[in-house]
Parts: sequence; structure tokens; C-alpha cells
Amino acid sequence: MDRLAKRYLRSRKIPGTTCSGCGLGQVHKKVLLAIEQLGLGTKDIVWGTGIGCAGRQIFNTWKGDNFAGTHGRVYALATGLRLALPEERKIILTAGDGDAFGIGLLHLLHCARRNLDVTVVVADNFGCQSTGGQYGCTTPRGYVTDSSPYGVREPGWLENGLDILDMLRDAGATFLARHSSFEGQSAVDSCAQAIRHKGFSLVHFIYPCVTHFGAVSLQSGDKARIFRWFEGLFRPEAGNSGDPRFRSGVYHDAGSSRPEFASSLKEWTRTVRREAAGRD
Amino acid sequence: MTAGRYALHLDFEACKACGYCLLVCPRKVYAPGTAFNKRGFRPFRVTAAEACIGCLRCFHVCPDFCLEVAMAGEGTNP
Ligand code: SF4
Ligand code: SF4
Ligand code: SF4
Repeated sequence: MDRLAKRYLRSRKIPGTTCSGCGLGQVHKKVLLAIEQLGLGTKDIVWGTGIGCAGRQIFNTWKGDNFAGTHGRVYALATGLRLALPEERKIILTAGDGDAFGIGLLHLLHCARRNLDVTVVVADNFGCQSTGGQYGCTTPRGYVTDSSPYGVREPGWLENGLDILDMLRDAGATFLARHSSFEGQSAVDSCAQAIRHKGFSLVHFIYPCVTHFGAVSLQSGDKARIFRWFEGLFRPEAGNSGDPRFRSGVYHDAGSSRPEFASSLKEWTRTVRREAAGRD
Repeated sequence: MTAGRYALHLDFEACKACGYCLLVCPRKVYAPGTAFNKRGFRPFRVTAAEACIGCLRCFHVCPDFCLEVAMAGEGTNP
């Protein structure tokens, strides 16, 4: 185990059950590096997980308080927790693309609308990989998957001028970033900014599922080839012109321009109590 | 393994032999292994630690928390 796993993770959960070459651990590591960079310990953070590969592999690895949400509902659970916990206690939620941008999207949008002080880390593997590799709402168009033998026909959240991060920004999110799981310090810095941010923050990580997306959609078991294909998504000049292209880094930072939900609700409650006491 | 400015540690039992460390290393510090660990993987090996420049690329891409790059003798990280 490395120092991060020793300090922050439960030893019986490491090494985890991800497939060899799965990029999920790279995402997990970036978040832990950010936590280390901010000088935070296990008592400072409550960690929630969704389901799917991202949920199953990261669930209960955190040595501190943690919980698993039902599919797509981890954001709603975190809303209650945010109201109950002291403001300095951080809440980090790790979820997959199906959880965050599929079944849980409404809950996620309402979290953004409220500018709830949580950090959501979306580990996006371009589909429903834990169930065998079906396509999802971020699978690039045209690619063969277990449920699209002739290639995905429907438009996804990340193509043809659509970007799910735009929708989250319009819903009121105050910090958004995007990275590939293969990135280094720049991705750690975005995670650190997101965790420090007072309000709704989300970091969208794109990572390789080698077992399904790699083997079926990219038709390759060669991890070097899969690695290069994913890297190419972040280089405008690279690869198949039909593939989506992303810019890595901070996507949107609105600072403290909107009130944070839990602290403003608590402040409002104090005001109402003071007024009620004054009337007695 | 310590042979230069940096000490590299690869956890034999935790490695899943994905090969990303070798793929990203500009100095080819790693090599595929031959021996099996308890989980049935053949972990990669540190074969040229003295060539390491401490860029941390391998550390950032290792998905299984089994690589550590430290300053030799100090135990701190670059
Ligand atoms: S199925 Fe895919 S996403 Fe899930 S652990 Fe394996 S490689 Fe990772
Ligand atoms: S720190 Fe850089 S040079 Fe050293 S082993 Fe890792 S990738 Fe290679
Ligand atoms: S990147 Fe990590 S898990 Fe993969 S071969 Fe290298 S040491 Fe092993």
C-alpha cells in the first residue's frame, strides 16, 4: 500500500476488486491526494458512494465516516447530512456516470440549484459497466456495446454541442471541473479547489473501463492503446474525428456568488427564532 | 528500491500488473515481472531505480495504491 492508502483507507479493502487496468483507482487517488494536500484527516470528511463500479469499489474504503446511497439518491441523503453536520465537516460523494447523470440527475440538479456545500466526484466510464457493459448517457455515439451491437444511435450528454456541465452550471453549480483519470497534479488541484469550495462543486473524471468499453467498444485488450485513446479525448487534434473532445481543468468557478444552502437556512432559522423570542 | 535520488517502492502483493507505470515512465524504470503474486498477477518490477527523475507520473497513474516514490533517505515525497 502507498502512504495514501495507509493513512486514509481500510487495509482490508486494498487492493480493491477493480479489474487490472481500470482507471477508477486513479480517480480515487486524485481525491485522496487533494485531501492530503489540504491537510485534512479522516475525521474531517464524511464520504458517500453511489452504486455501479464506482460505488462498489470505493464503498467503505474510507477510514472515517462513510455511507452508501441508493442508486442516484446519494445527493438527497447528503442534503440531510449537510444540514445536520457542522459546516467545517466536508462531504465528498463519489458516483458513476449512470448514478450522477442518469438515474440521479434530478437529485444532482436540485443539489446544484440549492448550492449545497458538497463535493461530487463523478467517475465516468462511458456506460453501465458493472452490469456487463451496456451503453449509457455518456457513451460516445457509434460505439458498439453489449446493448448496442450496431453502435450507439442516441445522442449522449457529451456531444453535438451538449455538455452536462453546462446544464449543471445553469442549474446553479458554483464550481465545476473536468479531467482524465490519467492526469496528475492538475487534476489533484481541481479536486482540492472543489473540496475547499463553499458550495456545490463537481469534478467530472473520465476513466477507462478496460474490461467492457476497452474490450468491446475499442476492441482492444491492449492497455497502452486504451490509454492513448482516452488521452486523445483531451487533445483536440487527436484520434477519430467522430469522438468527443474535452478540455481539462476548471470549467466554471462562480466563487461565493450564490448563498450556500445549509448555512443560509441555518441563518434564517436563527433569525426566525430571535424574532419569535422577541414576540414572547 | 533505492539506487539514486529517489526511493521507489512497489507493493508486490497489491500490484495488478496493468503496466501503466512502465507506459508513462520517461526513463523506463519498470519492467514486466515473471513471478506470480497471491492474487495471480505477475507484478511489475523496479529495474532501473537509479534512472528515476522523480516526475511522479507512475505514481499518478498507478490505480491500485501500490507504488510510492520518495526522496531517498528522507522518506518525504517529491
Ligand atoms: S468492469 Fe470496467 S469499470 Fe468496472 S472495475 Fe472492471 S474495468 Fe473498472
Ligand atoms: S517518478 Fe517518473 S522517472 Fe521515476 S519511476 Fe516514476 S515515472 Fe519513472
Ligand atoms: S501501475 Fe501499479 S498496478 Fe499497474 S503495473 Fe505498475 S505498480 Fe502494478
